[in-house]
Amino acid sequence: MAKPIEFKAGSLHAMSAVLREIDNVRLADALQVMLGGIGEFFAGEPAVIDVTQVTQFPTRIDWPGLQSLLRRYGLQPVALRGAPEALHAGARKAGLAILDGLDKEPQLPVTPATETPPAPEPVAAPAPSRGSPMVIDRTIRSGQQIYARGSDLIVLGAVSNGAEVIADGNVHCYGPLRGRALAGASGERSARIFSSNFGPELIAVAGVYRTFEQGIPQALAGRAVQARLQGEGEQASLLLETLITD
Amino acid sequence: MTRIVVVTSGKGGVGKTTSSASFASGLALRGFKTAVIDFDVGLRNLDLIMGCERRVVYDLVNVIQGEANLHQALIKDKHCENLFVLPASQTRDKDALTEEGVEKVLNDLKQMGFDYVVCDSPAGIERGAVMALTFADEALIVTNPEVSSIRDSDRILGILQSKSRRAKEGQEAVKEHLVITRYSAKRVDEGEMLSYKDVQELLRVPLLGVIPESETVLQASNAGSPVIHNKESDAAEAYEDLVARFLGETREMRFVSYEKPGILKRIFGGA
Ligand SMILES: Nc1ncnc2c1ncn2[C@@H]1O[C@H](COP(=O)(O)OP(=O)(O)OP(=O)(O)O)[C@@H](O)[C@H]1O
Ligand SMILES: [Mg+2]
Repeated sequence: MAKPIEFKAGSLHAMSAVLREIDNVRLADALQVMLGGIGEFFAGEPAVIDVTQVTQFPTRIDWPGLQSLLRRYGLQPVALRGAPEALHAGARKAGLAILDGLDKEPQLPVTPATETPPAPEPVAAPAPSRGSPMVIDRTIRSGQQIYARGSDLIVLGAVSNGAEVIADGNVHCYGPLRGRALAGASGERSARIFSSNFGPELIAVAGVYRTFEQGIPQALAGRAVQARLQGEGEQASLLLETLITD
Repeated sequence: MTRIVVVTSGKGGVGKTTSSASFASGLALRGFKTAVIDFDVGLRNLDLIMGCERRVVYDLVNVIQGEANLHQALIKDKHCENLFVLPASQTRDKDALTEEGVEKVLNDLKQMGFDYVVCDSPAGIERGAVMALTFADEALIVTNPEVSSIRDSDRILGILQSKSRRAKEGQEAVKEHLVITRYSAKRVDEGEMLSYKDVQELLRVPLLGVIPESETVLQASNAGSPVIHNKESDAAEAYEDLVARFLGETREMRFVSYEKPGILKRIFGGA
């Protein structure tokens, strides 16, 4: 007779939500701007709340509030990493596993990697792990969203107003970019956005974003432009440069 | 081979039903056996524009629910020998449109040897609109030259890409055609309206026709006769061109440039 339960060792591929501060209201705002209030931005992936980069911890943390905020975007927070001991009890009570200490144990051999090599555990920013790029031939229409997980995204059509293209790597747009483009979506700060006809509603690299409510600067509108991060930490901003294409 | 053509837009009141009526009539005038189906369950408009509202006995929902067969429900058009209208129900709700039901009706029309089946979609992006486009081979995307209409058309193009049977089964994509209606070359000239080139650049869909804003459209719908039959009007000619292009002919775009009235005309008036 089969045993009613069995235990097997396994590894779990999870998103890391790398927080720089713990303030649910500010996080909610930032997510709203980054992801445009798109519920279910993620597809129910498990997520590790990574607070290794947080410098100031509040004395009390509203874990359930933070969890439901992440769930709103389709993430399943399952664990916590990098929090001081004093916060562990509260997090456990909210149902989060504490990964600190566990991480350092030797990793079980992973099944032969197809795309992602068994990467060393990410510490601060996840290392670039690129599969082959996702190529989209058509125009991405308002209300549509394309996410190139773990790779670059190449769009040959236009990205319409109200459409969204996201990649963990770089985003390349050969048609007009009129919607939103987010590169380095899981934190890769070296990711860039390339657009041959620049006119987006929003661009973001590794969570640093820029909107264009006042319109696109004359020098960039309709031109070939790249966007990348410059500066570190709080000072980071998006650098927009026209590209010379002839 | 029957071709199923959906006439859709996302936004309401942009000219889908007007275009469905004239497009279907134009195909029939060219000798193609054509059916035009009203998918706007609950509102029912096409029969008024086709002028057959007094002859409606059964409708699409009756056929889907097996209360009548197609032969009983199809209404023969009063102008064209080859044209049949399948009206919508005014009393049922949109849930009566099931995917299997719609598919069966379309298959039966294929069996009956129709060349074209034109599906007049309701506004919005909900069930009725999705049902109208699910089985389409081609789509006329009806758009007014204004930002909200363009945005909604873009949206419906996305839905066509994801929800149509062709998309789901990985067949060749639904063939898209852009139809710009209520176009005023004068207002474009005065910088009050987006030009058809702007609209096309934003939507990136091949342009099938530009229909000018015209009073005869309202007159024609009040008279229950699709505007394409009003031979002298600009709108009729524009629809005639549109049908010709759909059938593969090359026709220059007309009614898209504005000639400022000369000084004599400004002083003395005139037609
Ligand atoms: N070329 C035109 N010139 C002037 N008026 C027009 C033109 N095309 C459509 N109209 C008018 O616009 C209104 C809406 O047209 P119609 O009913 O065809 O739109 P629709 O997209 O089918 O609307 P709904 O979304 O409600 O089904 C009608 O009053 C019609 O007479
Ligand atoms: Mg209508």
